[in-house]
Amino acid sequence: MRRKLIAAIGVAAMMGVAACGSDGGEDAQSGDGDKTLTVWVMDGSAPEEWVTELNKEFEAAHEGVTVEIQTQQWNGIQEKVTTALSEDAPPDVLELGNTQTAGYAVTGGLADLTDMKDELGYDTWNEGMLPSAELDGQLYAAPWWAANRVVIYDKSIFADAGVEPPTTREEWVEGLQKIEDETDAQPIYLPGQSWYVYSGFLWDEGGDLAVEDGDQWKGALATPEGAAAMNFYEELQSFSTAPKDTDEATPQQSTDIVPKGDVASWIGLGWEANGAIAAIEEAGGEADFGYFPVPGKTAEQPGHVFFGGSNLAVPERSQNKELAQEWLKLATSEEWMKKYAEATGGAALPNSQAAQITPEPGSFAEAMVQSADVGRLTPITPGWANVETDPNPVKQYMTNVLNGTDPKKAGDDADEAITERINQG
Amino acid sequence: MSNTTLAGPAGAPNAVAPRPPSAPDRAATRARRRKTLGRIWPNLLALALAAFFVFPVYWMFSTSFKPAAQVLTKTPTFFFTPTFEHYGTATEVELFWTFVRNSLTATVGAVLIALVVALAASFAIVRMKFKGRKGLVLAVMMAQLAPWEVMVIVMYLIARDAQVLNSIGFLTLIYFVMVLPFTIWTLRGFIAAVPKELEEAAMIDGCSRTQAFFRVIFPLLAPGLMSTSLFGFITAWNEFAMVLVLNKEPEAYTLPLWLTQFQSAFGNDWGATMAASSLFAIPVLLLFLFLQRRAVGGLSAGAVKG
Amino acid sequence: MTVQTTEGATPVTKEPPPSGPDSRPPGEAAPRGRRSLPSGWLPYLLIAPAVLALTVFLGYPLVRNVLVSFQQLGRMEMISRATVWTGFDNYVELLRDDAFWAVVVRTFVFMAVNVALIMLGGTLIGLLLNRLGKAMRLVLSLALVMAWAMPIVASATVFRWLFDTQFGVVNWVMRSLGFAGYEQHNWFQTGFSTLAIVTLLIVWASVPFVALNMYAGLTTISGELYEAARMDGATNYRIFRSVVFPLLKPFFLITTFLEIIWVFKAFAQIYALNQGGPNRESETLPVFAYVEGMSQMQFGVAAAASVLTILILIVAMSFYFRLILKQEDEQ
Repeated sequence: MRRKLIAAIGVAAMMGVAACGSDGGEDAQSGDGDKTLTVWVMDGSAPEEWVTELNKEFEAAHEGVTVEIQTQQWNGIQEKVTTALSEDAPPDVLELGNTQTAGYAVTGGLADLTDMKDELGYDTWNEGMLPSAELDGQLYAAPWWAANRVVIYDKSIFADAGVEPPTTREEWVEGLQKIEDETDAQPIYLPGQSWYVYSGFLWDEGGDLAVEDGDQWKGALATPEGAAAMNFYEELQSFSTAPKDTDEATPQQSTDIVPKGDVASWIGLGWEANGAIAAIEEAGGEADFGYFPVPGKTAEQPGHVFFGGSNLAVPERSQNKELAQEWLKLATSEEWMKKYAEATGGAALPNSQAAQITPEPGSFAEAMVQSADVGRLTPITPGWANVETDPNPVKQYMTNVLNGTDPKKAGDDADEAITERINQG
Repeated sequence: MSNTTLAGPAGAPNAVAPRPPSAPDRAATRARRRKTLGRIWPNLLALALAAFFVFPVYWMFSTSFKPAAQVLTKTPTFFFTPTFEHYGTATEVELFWTFVRNSLTATVGAVLIALVVALAASFAIVRMKFKGRKGLVLAVMMAQLAPWEVMVIVMYLIARDAQVLNSIGFLTLIYFVMVLPFTIWTLRGFIAAVPKELEEAAMIDGCSRTQAFFRVIFPLLAPGLMSTSLFGFITAWNEFAMVLVLNKEPEAYTLPLWLTQFQSAFGNDWGATMAASSLFAIPVLLLFLFLQRRAVGGLSAGAVKG
Repeated sequence: MTVQTTEGATPVTKEPPPSGPDSRPPGEAAPRGRRSLPSGWLPYLLIAPAVLALTVFLGYPLVRNVLVSFQQLGRMEMISRATVWTGFDNYVELLRDDAFWAVVVRTFVFMAVNVALIMLGGTLIGLLLNRLGKAMRLVLSLALVMAWAMPIVASATVFRWLFDTQFGVVNWVMRSLGFAGYEQHNWFQTGFSTLAIVTLLIVWASVPFVALNMYAGLTTISGELYEAARMDGATNYRIFRSVVFPLLKPFFLITTFLEIIWVFKAFAQIYALNQGGPNRESETLPVFAYVEGMSQMQFGVAAAASVLTILILIVAMSFYFRLILKQEDEQ
């Protein structure tokens, strides 16, 4: 510490410019009074009203504390979090995607919350959300929300074409064909790299993104299951004019594509549906959305979906660890989770059964909970986070196959990259 | 030695040869020689080339003024009622003016420091003999090869350990060192172009070495300083790999970061993105139009000297 | 414009340099003024700030970079701040990796094509500028300055927009010219076409520098020289080869040197257009090192890649270094 201090003084003196604390955060740490608690939330995760209310209550209970919310983009988030966690003054609370949490827990960058289990209400949490927040029996994060994708469709376009929400893949494709034949609309908007959607199809076939191989993992896209899943994806994608080399966030399907009209259906999360509705209303229109679960191979069971979600964690090096844990506790408490569920209209599942609200008929949430039972996670190993870094081999695989590469060959290339990355520390 | 003789050599620090006859003279000789056809094709070619070089710039500005509905069309519209709405969207971003201030501080600061430091160093390199001079020249040359983009992580580690993350001051210093080698190198050419006799003459006239430098050499270097600073300005103004990693606090962002993040946040809103690009480009465009007359030839006079 | 650029080439001061306040007869001041190369501490004092700055902000990071290249530094080591020495592992991994060698080859091909196009285009346009009448020269020069002045981040954004799949104006132009298949043509579908667009962007942005300076250089060549050559019956090509080229040799030397460095180091253009994709097929060495390091958090491997990049660059440029040092001796 001392050496670091000397180095700091040296550099500051050399530059004649002191390190600029940006917003008085530096002063805040020295005094007992004014403190700023920095919270990183991901784009789309925290409804504005909810988070404002929450902070108001928190600030009222902790005098002199200001909570600063900084919204982050998913794109490039891992490098940002990695460097931030290595710093002396990282953000105090972090939202981490459930596929990435283990990757950070293993580094020791996250504060161990095991002692707070009771306070946090560990026993009431949804079991499905736990695996991503724990590592080797220790708790490193509190589950916050979880959600899965459903098909969002424009009721009037479906009605024009005389198409009912499908319950099987066959009906789904038939319906899309009918929309293509009878309307001017794009039957489905599906960009080439929507890899969570692909994962669902892969699970439908009984395959997986990566499988355990002794004490190692290896990629499993170059399999008959991988090819079959991709085959179906390609069939759907052929109904779309979406680019084959981007994912659903570039351009943002919910706010850039759907509101412009003429999209009969698309696959998205609750916050995306809400975003699209807001954008349409802002432009003076009215959204008329219906929702159905991603159809499965048979009518008995909907298709598998990726059970996405986020956890809240406190960086080990946080300067306001206790306060941060307080905030985390409040945000994930039953009371506030209930408000969260209400704020999202049930489109995001809160961390406990008790906080859940009953979805309204015809809502996104109603369709979503239907496939919650067949929700799956990406391979649970710290190395998985490496696979998701850019350029993501699963996305590349999809684009390659869509552009005509043999699935086996594209799969072999992708598996090589996945195997190498997933086994990295 | 009189002042008039002094001005003589100052007028011609040309790299290669005496000045050509004036343009009209040459044009006249040529006109006599060339047939009409021979004069048309260069002009046509020049027009085509001018269109090629100006088009992307034109398209940027034109998109930025287009009403939103006319931006995303299959067939582009060339005539429209200009609107400023995209500029509104672009500048409405929180902290926009902070970014502007940060960018200006880092860029102008880096260029000014670099000019002062480089002036001293290049003067020593050109006009003085000292041990290690050749080594320094080689080092300056090699320093231009520094791949800064791939050194970001090391810079990050250094900044983190010295606790100067999110600091515009530190950024300014990095930019200063980024532009320093090129600045030394070009200024060196300019100083070499100023005849030594001039300085000596001034000293004979009673100036001290310092006085001789500031009164005689410095004014002659003006074009050199301008063209050099132009290059430094572009380099620092454009930089984003470093600031992306070093400055995570929004308060410490610079404009390139705003532009790249703006793009991902606004996705398909090309009108606003082009407005943002325009805003980012305008200062440099203006600077070029002001300084270009000095800079263009100036660089050849300086750099050609090598 | 003629007048402007020519003026720029020869820095003429309006006022004659002032003489010292108390002008003395030349003879008296001579002893002090005669020797022009002082030795002692003054030169060291003058270069000290530059040397210090380069040492602290470039030398030290470079050393640190070499150190990191011998370490395993990933997400884990970064956050826990652990130092794990792994010797030459990173280098071995890279040198054994076919992908790395593919990137090296690609970088050199890319560089050669770009520099050749820039130098050729710049020279030809410079010669054209010299032939044009006043008005046309002004028009072309202004267009060149515009392209030159565009900041890279902005121009990369603009090119992305020009070549946009759905609404790009280039696809529209191709359709209007009657080419089929440009309804939704994705210009960034392969590494090759991505690099072709990067090349267009770099050439577009770099040619003005060469052309305008070439022209400025040409204006310094006396018209009589051309006349004389023409009298001897020399063709245009011969005039260029035996009059213009030898006189402007230093110009070509330096400009090519600069362009090689600039193109080799080109990062923002490639990264901003397509992040080195698709399938990492448009990565050149700097982009490769950045993607390995920042995106995939293999900072040790990235450091090794950057050390190799620097070494390759130094070896490739050693010819130039020698040439320039030789010039240095002559001065």
